Amino acid sequence: MTPDLKVSIAGVKFANPIMTASGCCGYGEELAQVFPLSKLGALVTKSVTLKPRLGHPPPRTAETTGGMLNAIGLANVGIDRFLSDKIPFLSKQKTKVIINVAGSTLQEYVDVCARLNDYERVDMIELNLSCPNVDEGGMELGVDPTLTEKTVTAVKKVFSRPVIAKLSPNVTSIVEIAKAAERGGADALSLINSVVGTAVDPETWRPRLTYNKGGLTGPAIKPIALAMVDAVYSNCRLPVIGIGGISSYRDVVEFLLCGATAVQVGTALFIEPEIPVKIIRDLTGYLKKRKLKSVCDLVGKVRKY
Amino acid sequence: MTRPACEDTFVIKNRNLKNDYHLLALGPYSRASHCKPGHFVHIKLPTADVFFRRAFSVANVSTNNNEIEIILKVVGRSTKVMAGLRKGDPVNLLGPLGVPFKLPKKNETKLIVAGGIGVPPLLFLVYKMIRRGCDPKQIIFFYGGRSSVDIVERSRIKKLGVTFIPVTEDGSLGETGLVTESVEKHILSRRTDRFRIYGCGPPEMLKATNDLGLKYGIPGQLSLEAPMPCGIGVCLGCVVELAKGGHARVCRDGPVFDIGVVLL
Repeated sequence: MTPDLKVSIAGVKFANPIMTASGCCGYGEELAQVFPLSKLGALVTKSVTLKPRLGHPPPRTAETTGGMLNAIGLANVGIDRFLSDKIPFLSKQKTKVIINVAGSTLQEYVDVCARLNDYERVDMIELNLSCPNVDEGGMELGVDPTLTEKTVTAVKKVFSRPVIAKLSPNVTSIVEIAKAAERGGADALSLINSVVGTAVDPETWRPRLTYNKGGLTGPAIKPIALAMVDAVYSNCRLPVIGIGGISSYRDVVEFLLCGATAVQVGTALFIEPEIPVKIIRDLTGYLKKRKLKSVCDLVGKVRKY
Repeated sequence: MTRPACEDTFVIKNRNLKNDYHLLALGPYSRASHCKPGHFVHIKLPTADVFFRRAFSVANVSTNNNEIEIILKVVGRSTKVMAGLRKGDPVNLLGPLGVPFKLPKKNETKLIVAGGIGVPPLLFLVYKMIRRGCDPKQIIFFYGGRSSVDIVERSRIKKLGVTFIPVTEDGSLGETGLVTESVEKHILSRRTDRFRIYGCGPPEMLKATNDLGLKYGIPGQLSLEAPMPCGIGVCLGCVVELAKGGHARVCRDGPVFDIGVVLL
């Protein structure tokens, strides 16, 4: 019998728990040339902001041990062009579409989400409350429980479908922020965003990124992400979407055991764009071998000491 | 466009050309015949020490054997690993990627401007032009480097029947100076010719070549290099500034750009 990969988050039904992580798949067009996006549980877009953003000057990525630093700076086409140029393509894809939204002020989040509300094909919104790579907004909101709560509440008033709050690891207590998002009315939580880090060239004495610091992603951050998923799952009632260094089905299993209902694959897409397809196939094999009927049988089942 | 995909191939040969330069033949590669001059392959090395893939321009294709050639110079960690690869070692290729060169019209004099390790895509381009019926006498192959050791595959270039003009900064081979100085002298000595430029090399050389094109109104294309995490246009890590404003992705919108398009 083929195991059931379907998962449900806030009433939205996904064919499987594998999503792309924001910022790692653009708006889906390039990835669609590599594999049919219908294979995915969901596609999560690059952050969309009210106005177009060019991002930081290059170099804005750097390879580090077991991962990468990036300070792209939320480069994106802005909501107008997103709606005219990108939504038509996304609407045709036979997968769930989650639009990641970022802003500099609470009002920007509200304005963007209000416009997205008119597009039924936008199944969910993911709020980027935690981008470490912009001077204003993003990070500030995501590290402050009160602002997090207010932002989620305001967005929920203008967007009628489920809202995911994406949380930053760059805080003293991620559980506190998670609870604030829950109070604000978030329908689900995704974590973690990238971990603030930097790298310096010993020859030139220059940081490897023009922004001087960036967000660390990739396998290097997986243990941090797992611990945070576990903490949030144990202390909040909202469904959790796990993110951080996932590049194989075994990584997915770890996240599900720690409490994630679904996961997002990010940096691994850069190395192997077809990786979601491989992960889904291997995950199915794992469930079969373990004689599990549903992928949901793994969620939160870590056997703690 | 060919659907880019990951494919396992093997090292067919690894030939040490000179000093730090190596020529690698990789195959069997089912997409070899889809590779055009200017295309690159994104190579995953069989080691955990190198995290991302590395981009290499295709230097030639042998469609009979389903092989591609790349040329590399050891400059860092990943190229050191690649130089040490042996026949039979596995490498995974993602490709072919990028926008290739546009082939020239027949009645133009083609100025090939290669600098150091920028030679591979131009070598492939010249092979292709000649195979397409372009007269080798209409191709002038400028090839600059610091020293004679930086001018590799000389006999292969000479065999093509093109006018080959090596240029070295230390004067150890061919003309002395910067390759773009030699190119400019040639342009000035043949003012009535219709030229087209094809360039690839270090940033300073690309900038000088771009400036020559703009100064003399010569059309052409340049192949750029940038560190590329993804190679397919999704990470936005390899962007360059455009003359008209905004950014372009070297991996997806390039690596080949028309002269004047990119701010170099």
